[in-house]
Amino acid sequence: MAKIKNGAGADAGRRGFLKGAGLAGAAAFAAPLKAVAQVPAAAGARNPVPLPNKPAETAPPPALEVLTEGKSGSDFMIDCLKSLGFEYMAANPASSFRGLHESLVNYGGNKSPEFLTCSHEEISVAMGHGYYKIEGKPLCVFAHGTVGLHHATMALYNSWCDRVPVYVVVGNTMAAELRRPGIEWNHSAQDTASVVRDFTKWDDNPASLQHFAESSVRAYKIAMTPPTAPVLIVADGALQEDPIPEGLDLRIPKLPKVSPPQGDAGAVAETARLLVNAENPVLIADRFARSSAGAKQLAELAEALQCPVVDTSGRLNLASRHPLNQSSRARQHISQADIVLGLEMSDFWGSINSYRDQLHRTSRPLMKEGAKAISLGSGDLYIKANYQDFQRFADVDVAITGDGETTMPSLIEAVKRLVNAGQKSKFEARGKKLAEAHDADLRRARSDATYGWDASPISTARLSMEVWAQIKDEDWSLASPTASVSYWPQRLWTMDKPHHFIGDGGGMGIGYCASASVGAALANRKHGRLTVSLQCDGDLLMTIGVLWTAAHHKIPILSVMHNNRGYHQEVMHVQRMAARHMRGLDTAHIGTTLRDPFIDYAKIAQGMGVAAIGPITDPKDLGPALKRAIAIVKGGEPVLLDVVTQGR
Amino acid sequence: MMMRHWLCLAASALFALVASGASAADAPRGDAAKGKQLFTTNGCSYCHGTVGQGGGGRTGGLRIANMGLGFPAFLNQLRQPANEMPPYVASALPDAAVADIFAYIASLPPPPDVKSIPILNN
Repeated sequence: MAKIKNGAGADAGRRGFLKGAGLAGAAAFAAPLKAVAQVPAAAGARNPVPLPNKPAETAPPPALEVLTEGKSGSDFMIDCLKSLGFEYMAANPASSFRGLHESLVNYGGNKSPEFLTCSHEEISVAMGHGYYKIEGKPLCVFAHGTVGLHHATMALYNSWCDRVPVYVVVGNTMAAELRRPGIEWNHSAQDTASVVRDFTKWDDNPASLQHFAESSVRAYKIAMTPPTAPVLIVADGALQEDPIPEGLDLRIPKLPKVSPPQGDAGAVAETARLLVNAENPVLIADRFARSSAGAKQLAELAEALQCPVVDTSGRLNLASRHPLNQSSRARQHISQADIVLGLEMSDFWGSINSYRDQLHRTSRPLMKEGAKAISLGSGDLYIKANYQDFQRFADVDVAITGDGETTMPSLIEAVKRLVNAGQKSKFEARGKKLAEAHDADLRRARSDATYGWDASPISTARLSMEVWAQIKDEDWSLASPTASVSYWPQRLWTMDKPHHFIGDGGGMGIGYCASASVGAALANRKHGRLTVSLQCDGDLLMTIGVLWTAAHHKIPILSVMHNNRGYHQEVMHVQRMAARHMRGLDTAHIGTTLRDPFIDYAKIAQGMGVAAIGPITDPKDLGPALKRAIAIVKGGEPVLLDVVTQGR
Repeated sequence: MMMRHWLCLAASALFALVASGASAADAPRGDAAKGKQLFTTNGCSYCHGTVGQGGGGRTGGLRIANMGLGFPAFLNQLRQPANEMPPYVASALPDAAVADIFAYIASLPPPPDVKSIPILNN
């Protein structure tokens, strides 16, 4: 436990301090001037004059105030944040945390955490989202009271849905008499965190520095305990800016090592028995692999059973070329299964049911009558009511509540203990058939990729494979979702390391990819990895300022644009409605496309200090352009390569 | 996640289309050039790609190039789609226009041999 003790007079509050300062100033007026500071009050200082008052301005000051201080509360707050091991703090600068800002860069030396300058709080938080999924620890974000936090909400919702911890500190001034007239009132709230409470795991509004120390450590611990999620701490303006009262005994609690909750041993043993005795067991994994251990564990369980694994791409749960990876045959395997085990599923119901989006929406179970479904995950340990990201209720036989990765070793052990020689032989035969099916799927995917190979706009298969050809021999990391490029990377790339794929944006709010991929690239930088993002145009427009952040902080990333010149998902939705209503089949582009004029992303990127190439429209030009771009990235700079593509 | 949805839909629709395939000779005469234009202006290309290569994702369409479909199966899929494809009724897309689109799809050349593309073989 770190202890920080100031001198005597411990409990002086802000007002007490100011009063004392006034007296000290008065006394000092007759004493040598060196005893007090003689700095004029800056605009907006405490006790401001709200309106012009000429006599007051020209008259001699009634007394000299103490206008400077040594160690402030914000210095101690930075000590608290440093104790948590943050490497970076991302923020758009704002007056409500000016004390913290100054303490970070001066008292804290702008190291651990280092200030990352962002042009929008959505960028700050989304960078933290991507950073965590590579580094496994949270990024700190400072946000302005009210307005800055409002900007951050979208990215916080994404990180909440994706079960990713981001650590947010928001400035706020609670005491009415300490708010500057006008703008500071707009940027203050009585319950600052309320706007994001539905999609943060915990928040607090500390009323003292000791309270801040304890809550800052508590917030980190809560954020990192599965189910992991974003947290928020309010940093009061007075606490930041006032001196640390003399004699105050401040202690920063130590951060405990978190031991995640494990599933019930009896339920695990029963699950193992059902899996071993099943004819057709199936494993489905969504956000299961939260560390490098996860994919290895899942492979070990699948190999012990020689059963199919469906990876729904919440994370890289199983190597894409593992013969038991049967993701492209999900429906077939689920419909034949007699037991399905879902691991850290965000939408188990959607995985075991089919749903048809026609005028009359219909659904039907994919699993056969009598088949059992078991869920294992930490989702039920923390759930909120308002936002519906918990998805439709899945009709499971057993819901094992516990962290998937923490529970998996005991499940593997139980399965291995139960498998006898006869079953082993049967399992091997099953595994052989699955391996053949996997190979057939790979051949089919390669064949499918040839359709539209030479088309312009460039096909998403061609885009994906031209990128793959250039990165496959590097230590690479794909930091973007893949749904918009028709999952070609999962189908054709060899993904076998956790950083090869980090899932999607969680809440599917666009604007995630551009910033999260830069956050991931920041984390990859020290490992010397080549970070690649297949960047959608609509997403980039949402948080385009992140290009400047990448340039300013020299974050190397290869951003290859999937520029289909529109919000293509919405093009298809509007087309669906037009067809349903039997009219206007030729108008779906209105309001959904980005044309007249086309946007020149290369020019925008260059304007932000990012090297850029494009737009590329001929697929033959793509390979050479990628080579040039990668050479720049290897020099430590971000690059944007604009490629005009098919819709999907 | 989304992946499972489109894979499931793709598999079922593919089966429906291929199983019901009739001979291309059953097709009425259509104008491929006109069909190409209709394929774009009526939004077919949004989901199926400009050369019918297909698109993934929950609302993406199947590949329709070089599928060996007959006109009756093609028309039936438009009017009464077996999967999530939206219905295209005759009042919005007359049979003659469908014939033109069918002619365009039938005119699409086969793709290059996968073995001729080195980056698809490593």
